[in-house]
Amino acid sequence: MSRATIRRRNRPRLAGYALPILSFIVGIALWELICRVFKVPAFLFPPPSAIAQIYFTGRIDWVGQTLVTLNEALFGLVIGVAVGFAIALVITLSGVLNKILMPYIVALQVLPKVAIAPILYIILGFSDTSRILLIVILTFFPIVINTSTGLADVDRNLVHLLKALRASDRTIFWKVRLPNSLPYFFDGLKIGVSGALVGAIVAEFVSSSKGLGFLILNSQYTFNTTAAFGAFVILTVLGLLLYAGVILLGRRLMPWYRPN
Amino acid sequence: MTATVAVEKVGMTYTTVKGDEVVALQDISLSIEKEETVAIVGPSGCGKSTLLRLIAGVEKQTAGRIERATDEGQFVVGYVFQDSSLMRWRTVYDNIKLPLEVLNKRNYDKIDELIQMIGMKGFEKAYPIELSGGMQRRVSIARAFVHEPSIVLMDEPFTGVDELTKEGLQHELGTMIRRRHATAMLVTHDIEEAVFLSDRIFVMSRRPGRIVEEVPVNLPADRDPSMRSKLEFFEAAKRVRERLLAMHAMSVDLEAGAGAP
Repeated sequence: MSRATIRRRNRPRLAGYALPILSFIVGIALWELICRVFKVPAFLFPPPSAIAQIYFTGRIDWVGQTLVTLNEALFGLVIGVAVGFAIALVITLSGVLNKILMPYIVALQVLPKVAIAPILYIILGFSDTSRILLIVILTFFPIVINTSTGLADVDRNLVHLLKALRASDRTIFWKVRLPNSLPYFFDGLKIGVSGALVGAIVAEFVSSSKGLGFLILNSQYTFNTTAAFGAFVILTVLGLLLYAGVILLGRRLMPWYRPN
Repeated sequence: MTATVAVEKVGMTYTTVKGDEVVALQDISLSIEKEETVAIVGPSGCGKSTLLRLIAGVEKQTAGRIERATDEGQFVVGYVFQDSSLMRWRTVYDNIKLPLEVLNKRNYDKIDELIQMIGMKGFEKAYPIELSGGMQRRVSIARAFVHEPSIVLMDEPFTGVDELTKEGLQHELGTMIRRRHATAMLVTHDIEEAVFLSDRIFVMSRRPGRIVEEVPVNLPADRDPSMRSKLEFFEAAKRVRERLLAMHAMSVDLEAGAGAP
C-alpha cells in the first residue's frame, strides 16, 4: 500500500457533507413556512427572509459592530491563551506551585464567570480592560487544563529512552513533553474560542455602547427582534469561522495527528 | 570475551504508596558478553522490565552492583519497547535520528543505511500514524541501533504482532543484531522468540524475580527461519517450557493449598 492510498482514505468524503447541508436548508425553509402560514409577528419571531433583509436597511453598522465584538474576542483570546499556557507550564514544572495555584484555578472555574462581570466593572470601571479581563477568565481555563494534561501525559517509554541516553529534563521537555501537548492544547483552544465570544457578548451586555452584545440588548428595548436575530446569525457564523480556523491551524501544525 | 554488562547480586525493592515494600527482583546475577544475545523469559510481572531499566540506568537498584563496560568510551543503550513508542510528531527519518540528536552525534548517514536495511526506503517522510504496526516496529528497531549502542535492550518487542509478521520481524532483528555485531538483551514471555534470537536464555521466577535456570541455545550464530524446525531449537524450547511449567504448577499448588480449610 502506498502512502498516497493511506492519505486518501483519511480524507473526508464530499458525500458526508450532503446530509447536514440538506438538513440545514430544510430547517430554514420550514422556519420561513411556519412564520408565513401562521402569520407570526416579526417582533416575536422573524422569518429568515426578514432577517436577511435587516442587513441591507442601512440603519445598523453591521460591519462596524461585528468588528468591535470580534476584536474584543480575539484580543481576549490571545491573552487568555498566553496566560493559560504560562500557567500550564508553571504547574507542570513545579509540583509545589501546582498545589498552591490549583485551588484558585478550580474555584475560578466552578464559579459561573458571567456572575463576575458586574463586579469587574465596579473594580476596574467601564473600560476595555474589564471587558478583556472577563474574556481572559473565560478562555484561560480550558487551555490550562488541556495543556498541562498534554505536558504530563507522555509515553513513559519515551521518557525512559531519553533518560537512558542521559538526556536532561530540559531535553525531555523540548523533545517529548512540548510536542506531546500540542493536540491537547488545540482541544483547549476549541473550547476557548467559544468562551471568547461568550465573554465578549456578556461584557457588552453589562458595560458597552457598541458591539453585537450591545446591539442585542438595544434590540430588546426597542422590540427590534429581527435585528437581534441578525446579530445571532453573525455570531453563529463568527463562532463557526473561529472554530474552523482552529481546526485548520491544528491540521497545518500537526500533520501527524488525527483524532481517534 | 569481555562482559558488556555484569549484574551481581542485584535486588530491587519498591515502596508502594501505602508504604508496603514489594520485592521486584532478588539476588540476580548474570553477565552479557560482547556480541552476545541473551534472553530473559519469565511470567508476567516477574520484574523482567525492571531489570532492563536497571541495566539502562533509568532506575537504580536497591542491592548489588551493575558493571557496564565503557571500553569504547560511553556506555550507551538502545531500547526497543513493546508498543514501538515512536514519537508520533516525528517522521520515520526523524524518529530514527533521535538518539543521534540526543547524543550530539552527527553521522546522519547511518539513518539512511538503517532505513534501507529495514526496507522502508520511500517512507522517510511518513508519520507513524501512516504506518502499519509491523512498519512501526521496524522503525523502533532502527532507532535502537542507529547510534551503535553498547547494548540493545528489547522489552517484549513483538507483543501484539500477528504470528507471520512476527516471525519475519524476528528474522530481520536477528540479522540486524549479527550484521551490526551488536550485544543485545531480550525480555520476553515468548519461548520461541527467545530461542530463535538468543545464545543463552535465563528463566526467571514469579515475583520476587530470581533466575532459576540458564539454558544455552546450541544453534549456529547465523540463524534463518528453517532453524525453527531443528532438534536443538526444540530441545532449548522444551527445557525453558518445562522449567516455567514446574514453577507454574508450584504456584497453582500453593494457591490451592491457601484456599483449603
